[in-house]
Amino acid sequence: MQEKAIVAIGSADVRMPAVRGRLVRSKWARNLLTFLVVFGPGLIVMEADNDAGAVSTYVQAGAQYGTRLLWLLLLLLPVTYFIQEMVVRLGIATGKGHATMIYQRFGKWWGLFSLIDLQVVNFLTLVTEFAAIALALGHMNIAPKVGVPVAAVGLMFMVLTGSYRRWERVTVFLCLLDTAWLFIAFKLRPATWGGAVHDMFVAGLPTGGVTTGLVFLMVAIVGTTIAPWQLFFQQSCVADKRLRFADLKWSRLDTFLGAVFTIVVAGCMMVAGNAAKVHGLAFSDPAQLAHDLQPFAGEAVRSGLLLLMINAAVLGTTAISLSSAWAYGEVRGWPHSLEMPVRKAKGFYATYVVCVALAAAIVLIPGAPLQLIIIGVQVLAGIMLPSAIIFLQLLLNDKQVLGDEYVNKPWNNWVNWTIIIVLFILSLILAAQVVAPNLFPAT
Amino acid sequence: MSVMALLRPTAISNVSEDQFVVVHPLDDVREDKVDTASLGRMSMTPSVKMSLMALRGYLVLMMLLVLYHVIDLSGALGQSTH
Repeated sequence: MQEKAIVAIGSADVRMPAVRGRLVRSKWARNLLTFLVVFGPGLIVMEADNDAGAVSTYVQAGAQYGTRLLWLLLLLLPVTYFIQEMVVRLGIATGKGHATMIYQRFGKWWGLFSLIDLQVVNFLTLVTEFAAIALALGHMNIAPKVGVPVAAVGLMFMVLTGSYRRWERVTVFLCLLDTAWLFIAFKLRPATWGGAVHDMFVAGLPTGGVTTGLVFLMVAIVGTTIAPWQLFFQQSCVADKRLRFADLKWSRLDTFLGAVFTIVVAGCMMVAGNAAKVHGLAFSDPAQLAHDLQPFAGEAVRSGLLLLMINAAVLGTTAISLSSAWAYGEVRGWPHSLEMPVRKAKGFYATYVVCVALAAAIVLIPGAPLQLIIIGVQVLAGIMLPSAIIFLQLLLNDKQVLGDEYVNKPWNNWVNWTIIIVLFILSLILAAQVVAPNLFPAT
Repeated sequence: MSVMALLRPTAISNVSEDQFVVVHPLDDVREDKVDTASLGRMSMTPSVKMSLMALRGYLVLMMLLVLYHVIDLSGALGQSTH
């Protein structure tokens, strides 16, 4: 194990059973290298959450309210970190996925409820990812009939190599491509950066106060930034990567850096949306915004926005499909690891392939009810998120599973219950809005 | 040296006093984890019971709201509010 392997050996050369690793000469190099080998799941789970739906939500927030809601993103940074940090602890302590834990500790009923809800929400979300790919390709003069299947096949090849490390490297690379959002934000910069910084650190409501549109958008931002699949994904990812107890602090750092990167990228998306407000552009989706911004911002911004939209959808698709495949494989008792060749984990890979292929196929059906699917995603995700987090919170207080060392501390519980109560309230507000649309003023 | 080259493992059989070995988790010996399968179901302490009851109540309420919304959209309640 790493704790035994990463040690300074005594006073003379020491022979040991051959291990595969890297030799370094300083503690500094050891820490850096250990971080690099642990790095991945935290960044991926966070950045993949900046998927096509998130791009749409953040850009819309910028277009409607400029940079006025940047503070909400800053507020969500510790929230996402605290939730995912719990997942990391649970994954490292048990070496099992979230679906398994719910089945084993809460029984079949809750296990099935969580699994079915996860699969349905994930599948509907996948359809929206491919819809975004089709939209962006359409604006690049590539026929969706050609581009969508190519994207789907590419997404399948990403995981079918039988190497966790290969998948992780490719996905981390795609995550890092999102640094291009900084360039987009720089090109479409707000009137003053000082104003944007003010909006980030000083919470306030946009002109017009609390309206239906604002409430919906704020709930959508929260729902977009914290998604149920993330809990299942990261725990399974940590288990598949076989992270060790000694890796916990590096995995926490990975998760924290991932959260910071994701929030920065989300802020850049709001800044991009702000450009639409500044130029008085009305748009129905980010692909159209990219097209409309070309006269003001140039071809690089147009192409960049379209490619980043596709990248967001690809990242979302691979992570969400994997969370489905891992969860289903765990519950069915199938072999479920990216380290396994296809012939040894047929059910696991088949689940991934079916999710991707079906979602891509639905998007290509003329007249598919995409709007209904988007609403379905919002409703089901709203129902699922608080319940998924309650199970997480109960599991993190389970001393039989985590012992005294890894179980939640009292301050963890205060923070987490506060987050859960806020999420419940937001879900109820969303539900109340559905039943009584005139709850808040329309404008 | 690229990051990839830095991370590429090699076979190591002896280590001198001023060296450290960094092993990728997937190249390492499997670590013993908690045997959760043998633990069975979580004990129903008052806080666990209360949390699950609250969750059931929340889910029932949300389902009723969704049902109401669907019926409302279908026009069965008279003129839809939408």
